[in-house]
Amino acid sequence: MIKTWVILLLLLFSYTASSQSLISGRVTSKSGEPLVGVNVYLDGTYDGATTDLEGFFAFETYEQDSFNLVVRSIGYHKASVVLEDHLSPVEIELKEEINELNAVVITAGSFNASEGSKQEVLRPLDVVTTAGTTADVPGALNTLPGTQTVGETGRLFVRGGEGRETKTFIDGMLVHNEYSPSAPNTPGRSRFSPFMFKGTNFTTGGYSAEYGQALSSALILNSKDIAETNRTDLSLMTVGVDASTTRSFDKSSFAGKVQYTNLTPYFALVNQNLSWDKAPEEFNGNFAYRKKTSKTGMLKLYTNISSSSLHLYEEDIVHPEIQHPVTVTNDYAHVNASYRELINDRWGLKTGMSYTRSKDFAALDQTSQEELLHGFHSKLAFDYQHSDRLSIMTGAEVIGTNQEQWLIDGSTALFDFNELITATFAEAELFASSSLAFKVGLRAEHNSLTNRQYLDPRLSAAYKTGENSQVSVAYGQFRQAPDRQVTYLDNEAANERAQHYITNYQWSHEGRSFRIEAYDKRYQDLARYTNVFDPTTYSFDGRGHARGVDVFWRDSKTFANTDYWVSYSFLDTKRSYQNFPGSFTPSFASAHNFSVVVKKFINSIKSQVGGTYSFASSRPYNNPNEDRFMSGRTPAYHDLSFNISYLYSNQVIVHAMVNNLLAINNVFGYEYASETGENGIYAGRPITPPAPRFIFLGVFITLSKNKGINQLPNL
Amino acid sequence: MKKNLIIIIFSVVSTGLMANGAFERVMGESIPAIFSSDNPENLQQIINKLDRVGAAETDRWEPHYYVAFGYLRMSSMYDNLADKDKYLDLALEAVAKGEEVLPDDAEFETLRGYIQMMKLNADPANRGMQYSGLVFGSFQKAIALSPNNPRAHFLLGQMQYGTAQFMGGGNAEACATMSKSLELFAQQTNPENPFAPSWGKESAERSHQQICKDSE
Repeated sequence: MIKTWVILLLLLFSYTASSQSLISGRVTSKSGEPLVGVNVYLDGTYDGATTDLEGFFAFETYEQDSFNLVVRSIGYHKASVVLEDHLSPVEIELKEEINELNAVVITAGSFNASEGSKQEVLRPLDVVTTAGTTADVPGALNTLPGTQTVGETGRLFVRGGEGRETKTFIDGMLVHNEYSPSAPNTPGRSRFSPFMFKGTNFTTGGYSAEYGQALSSALILNSKDIAETNRTDLSLMTVGVDASTTRSFDKSSFAGKVQYTNLTPYFALVNQNLSWDKAPEEFNGNFAYRKKTSKTGMLKLYTNISSSSLHLYEEDIVHPEIQHPVTVTNDYAHVNASYRELINDRWGLKTGMSYTRSKDFAALDQTSQEELLHGFHSKLAFDYQHSDRLSIMTGAEVIGTNQEQWLIDGSTALFDFNELITATFAEAELFASSSLAFKVGLRAEHNSLTNRQYLDPRLSAAYKTGENSQVSVAYGQFRQAPDRQVTYLDNEAANERAQHYITNYQWSHEGRSFRIEAYDKRYQDLARYTNVFDPTTYSFDGRGHARGVDVFWRDSKTFANTDYWVSYSFLDTKRSYQNFPGSFTPSFASAHNFSVVVKKFINSIKSQVGGTYSFASSRPYNNPNEDRFMSGRTPAYHDLSFNISYLYSNQVIVHAMVNNLLAINNVFGYEYASETGENGIYAGRPITPPAPRFIFLGVFITLSKNKGINQLPNL
Repeated sequence: MKKNLIIIIFSVVSTGLMANGAFERVMGESIPAIFSSDNPENLQQIINKLDRVGAAETDRWEPHYYVAFGYLRMSSMYDNLADKDKYLDLALEAVAKGEEVLPDDAEFETLRGYIQMMKLNADPANRGMQYSGLVFGSFQKAIALSPNNPRAHFLLGQMQYGTAQFMGGGNAEACATMSKSLELFAQQTNPENPFAPSWGKESAERSHQQICKDSE
């Protein structure tokens, strides 16, 4: 009986001990502002409350063992407070979390088009829906400021840099020879179909220490992840056909695309001012395999193989009745493997390897040139996330280039080089607060040909000046081997060097963005010569500068279903390099570039229509008949292009496009005979597009159970 | 002695019942509030309460489901895209948390599709093409996991209707899916788990009426 009493007493005691107590307090940010909607509770229990507009909370609890108060709020670090008792009110300060939503992003020199990227000024689809770009990645980027229209090449000329100063990277791995070959003075296209990529980061300067061997620009493409649905696509186009299929498996996916391009029927219909014997023909295969190796691991394999050829007759400059046969062929293979994994909460690893083999053959009359390139790149990098305020990336890479050239002109001459670049890089990103960020990087490179070491710093910073605006600055030193023609003859040719200084202001708010960027780029150690075929005339002391301002405005809000952007670039550039007898503006540079891109979805005709207007001011050219070097000026360039994508049904789309609708006679420059004629002058002729307009028609069919999928995003 | 034992057993059982009862009580009062709350402050309080339950009961998926649903509703109380996205992202996070407890579940997959659908609706001009595949993919996956899930059919029908409105081509398909969802809602028996999702019947009836009227 006594025992029973003891138990009853114990029960009674436990009841009184569990009597209710009141926990109260206030939650503020570090800067003292009250935080609303914060979840405050005793760990492991249901007992808690939500803070009010003043940051106050109060709740009752019967718990007596739990003194651990958990405080959680969106955008702040979770806090745990050990209470001394359940009586006195508590003051809690939360530290702001730096995350993708609130952190300032360094935007100097960078145009980012990634899914979900907050700082996006360009969306992935833009690459393929912009009129006049023929779904070519560089074509679309040429509507952005910082690029110069150089219509006869199709390449990206960035801020007074040559086309070769822009390098392309897929999943961090270097791509050699990224453009398909083309006839002389006609634009080449990128070999890589834009539909493969989920994100494009186009840098016009000041980029990360991870990237080297590019003086002006790095085009960083990130391929898509695992495909979720099975689909098959067929395209019938005036320039060829393609078929692709995507298969999705449990933790992996495969995508393959085969393409056959032949311009014979098109050239038969649309008159060309080149006399084609065999219009460009290309077989192209793309294969991608992705595998999720663990919850956080991803392996990507990608292959591109292609074979192309063309044959035409080129008029002699002096004697137009003489036709010189021109043949161009190319066999190309690129294999790319990359792997990413999180080792633990803080450490991440990425590694990759790429191999490119490209064999080019070009013949003019009895002279021919054959080039064989083996390119190799491997990289290993680690990421260390110390906290949300500090992260460090470090890695090493090897870039090998083995290139041979045979010149057959009566006799055979062989030139070659075997270059191995080893580099290490490290970069730290530091957030002083969510409004102020710094990036400090360093890249060390060793070149086996010159046996020299190079050390290149890269610095950048960004500061949020308001809720929607920010300024960023960047500085960096960049190096690149000179044009391969120079390296062939002088294997020890020094790397060329550029220094970038960039200041950027960006404002964006709900579908509208504005950015203005000023830059100063200084070139040093440029290759100079009086005769490119005579290495004794080489010197590597050429200098140059490119200064300018880029302005960009984009608005997808003001007009319903309409998106437009306007770009303007001003460029002031001069360099003493190649065979220039002093410091001159090179022939690819135009002082003013301007473009407007408009896209509109018109519901009533179920069509997306787009238009692009591009303008470039005159470009210099050298007329050997003039005393002054580079004294010629081409007329200004204008182009107005349109496209329309009509949704015939959910999964059938008809696409049409016309470039240079007004058939404006654009002149890219002039070329001259190498020797004077009987009259003592150098005969010359303008370099013009092969036809005033380019017209494209295509039908795109998607076969998939998933009715939400069609090819519109790819057009 | 026997008595003592009985008392001890009784007290143990009663505290056990109390703990269990708390889950039932809090869920029972919070779930209807998630659906009826009409302002962000109040809704955040209910979400926080469910979030506390989810943090304490590590083997229950239901709190996460309704937290996600709460944030989905919260997103519709704001007009600007950044706020909408913030809450829709929180909803997706809650879905992922719930799926850690209950993987490969049709209800979570349906909810994910619903959230993506709201993301699409927030900015159709820019997101239409990218998100419509995601949304259809989620509903189809949910139906594959549970062929008789009425909510997956209801939302699939909504999405088909929206697509048909946009592309033309009539509402026959959407109407058929809606009719099927009504059938499935009618068959929906009281589940063993009183907190399992059961919403959607009335909305489906309204949508069915509108879509099938339009399709004639």
